[in-house]
Amino acid sequence: MTEISLPPSGLAEDILVNFTEQPAELHLVTFSLGEEYGVPIRQVREIVRVGGLTIIPNSPAYIEGVINLRGRVLPVMNLRRRLRLPEKDISKASRIIVTEIGAKVIGLLVDAVSHVVRVPSGAVEDAPEEVLEVDTDYITGVGKLNNRLIIMLDLERLLKREQLETGESGDGPQQIPSSIFERR
Amino acid sequence: MDYDALVRDFLDDADCHLNVLDSALISLEQNGHDPEVVRQTLGALHTLKGNSGMMGYESFKNYIHLTEELLKKISDGDADRQLPELINILGDGANIIRNALQGIGKDNSSNPDLSENLRSLRRYIDGAEYSAVKPAVDPDAYLGVRTDTIKVDFTRLDALLDLVGELVIFKTRLGQLEGRIQAELFSKPLAKELNESLELMGKTVSGLQEGIMRARMLPVSHVFNRFPKMVRDIAASHGKEIRLVFEGEDTELDKTVIDELGEPLIHIIRNAIDHGIEAPGERRAKGKDGTGTLTLSAVQESNYVIIRVKDDGRGINLERVREIGISRGLISDEDPLDSQGASSLIFAAGFTTKREVDDISGRGIGLDVVHKKISQLNGRVTADSSPDRGTTFTIKLPLSLAIIPALMAEAGGEVYAIPMSAVDENIRADENDIHMINNREVISFREKVMPVIRLDEFFGLGRAQRKGCYMVIIGKADKKLAVAVDRLRGQQEIVIKPLDDTFGKPRGIAGASILGNGRIVLILDVMSFWSNEAADFTTPGLKRKQPGAVSPRPETGT
Repeated sequence: MTEISLPPSGLAEDILVNFTEQPAELHLVTFSLGEEYGVPIRQVREIVRVGGLTIIPNSPAYIEGVINLRGRVLPVMNLRRRLRLPEKDISKASRIIVTEIGAKVIGLLVDAVSHVVRVPSGAVEDAPEEVLEVDTDYITGVGKLNNRLIIMLDLERLLKREQLETGESGDGPQQIPSSIFERR
Repeated sequence: MDYDALVRDFLDDADCHLNVLDSALISLEQNGHDPEVVRQTLGALHTLKGNSGMMGYESFKNYIHLTEELLKKISDGDADRQLPELINILGDGANIIRNALQGIGKDNSSNPDLSENLRSLRRYIDGAEYSAVKPAVDPDAYLGVRTDTIKVDFTRLDALLDLVGELVIFKTRLGQLEGRIQAELFSKPLAKELNESLELMGKTVSGLQEGIMRARMLPVSHVFNRFPKMVRDIAASHGKEIRLVFEGEDTELDKTVIDELGEPLIHIIRNAIDHGIEAPGERRAKGKDGTGTLTLSAVQESNYVIIRVKDDGRGINLERVREIGISRGLISDEDPLDSQGASSLIFAAGFTTKREVDDISGRGIGLDVVHKKISQLNGRVTADSSPDRGTTFTIKLPLSLAIIPALMAEAGGEVYAIPMSAVDENIRADENDIHMINNREVISFREKVMPVIRLDEFFGLGRAQRKGCYMVIIGKADKKLAVAVDRLRGQQEIVIKPLDDTFGKPRGIAGASILGNGRIVLILDVMSFWSNEAADFTTPGLKRKQPGAVSPRPETGT
């Protein structure tokens, strides 16, 4: 049993906060896309330099291509394009953040990787409603660290939206007449 | 399969089933009655009984049957018999089975005679006291049959093949490095030594690759054996008499291909029975044997397996195919139709719909599904027919799905791999060879007019300024397409890796492969080129006497 001492404020919610699942700190990998963004470090497998990209024709514009990650064909998403930010050429500082989202492994192309930081969960605020649009629920909040603002991304939501969008469009007019043979 | 091997397989299998019985008895003894245990054991015994019957071990089979009955008494809760007593007698039964199996193992021409045991067990089941000598068991018999086969989880073989795939890639890479080293260390002994070791390693890698591929293979009889019963039933329901003949059923194919092969074959076979082979009366009137013959054959040709489904029925009804083709808008009524054109038409998507199933007198039910499936396996399917002589469907499949030969082609500055199974041939061409018909680019080759797909444009890579190019002729059944590429880079074996489908399936791409230099190349999905064509260029495979004289038709596309 943990001992509960009355907080100086004496308010019930200040006690209850100790019982919610929220960790005291968020461990983030931050990177730059003009602004500073962050993703949970547990979703980051590794960070690699950009090279050997093979473009995938007829794929969504934000798919930069695929790279060979030690024998694995890894799709790389251009995060700027995905978040509808202005284009920027790949530079020496550009990196691919290899993320593990559920069972998927996906690379995110970013301008540069900055740091691994710890943000106290108390320093995270919801993103101001005015800046959020209907389809931007993958921005989970804004972390404040010293004088920096870190926009926090929920990759699972980002990807879920992806699957919905690509799933709806279908792949062309080809239609297979249903067969009379039932599958057994 | 020779008899020795058959007996060995039987014994291997019987040993497993006997083990199930043994462990069940122990479990029942320790934990009391458990319906699930009894159910599983009954299943094992039932299989063993069936196998024994097939092997002609009549007395043995009957004994298993009684053992089953006795076991059922446990689940039925026979009031007169106590569980321990039943377990004891079943234990004796297991030993009797064990001894019989050992006997067969020692002399595979023997046929165990269990008539005495049969009688005493029968009497017991009918209510008498059990009176039989306890069978003496040779301790060796508990060891079971020494087997030559092991069961391996297929995912393990998959993992091994993956590793071998990597190895093949690294081998190619080392080979390229070696070339560079050779160039720099010209004729130095060190370079020679490197060359020799690489050659040796290359051989070992090839051997390993072949070994793993072989380990994953199953005879096509695995699929074929599902059909005799089906053919019999369908034939009976249609009032037809059909003899099913297998040829080359021990030809082997990768298990992943075997697993996918059943469905397309069922379609073709059903078609042959429904529409190909005539009713006995009609056959006799034509002077044919009243019983039709359906032949399923398999043969290996280099890296491919050819599977044929041949019937001696009425053949494809050209007129009917033509009518349907016209009514579906697949061909225009000015188009002549020869048997080759017809057989390509029946595979077209949209050729058949449910409505025609009942009144169609030719064939062509779900054949587009067959075509799609076979193409997914990197194979090809064609049909060949002559009136009243019958129809033959030919399926050509690569031995393996994981490592395939591919033609490397460059377009728009990128390299693409085209599965060799789709490639007919490749030719050099220049812009003068390309003509326009109905706003489509076509090329005439070997008296066939076929549409041209410029790969760079298809993939939105921008059109290169060039004078000459190469045309890779790819064939879908009898339809052909010419894929225009800038350069050919030769043939090589590639290891297929799937593309992540999170972002949808990119049109025209079937997968990816990693080359020796670490670069990723994309593998073309040749199938999708036709679905692109189907909408606005509908008769690419049909012969036209004067390609230029075809009157423009309104676009039927989307």
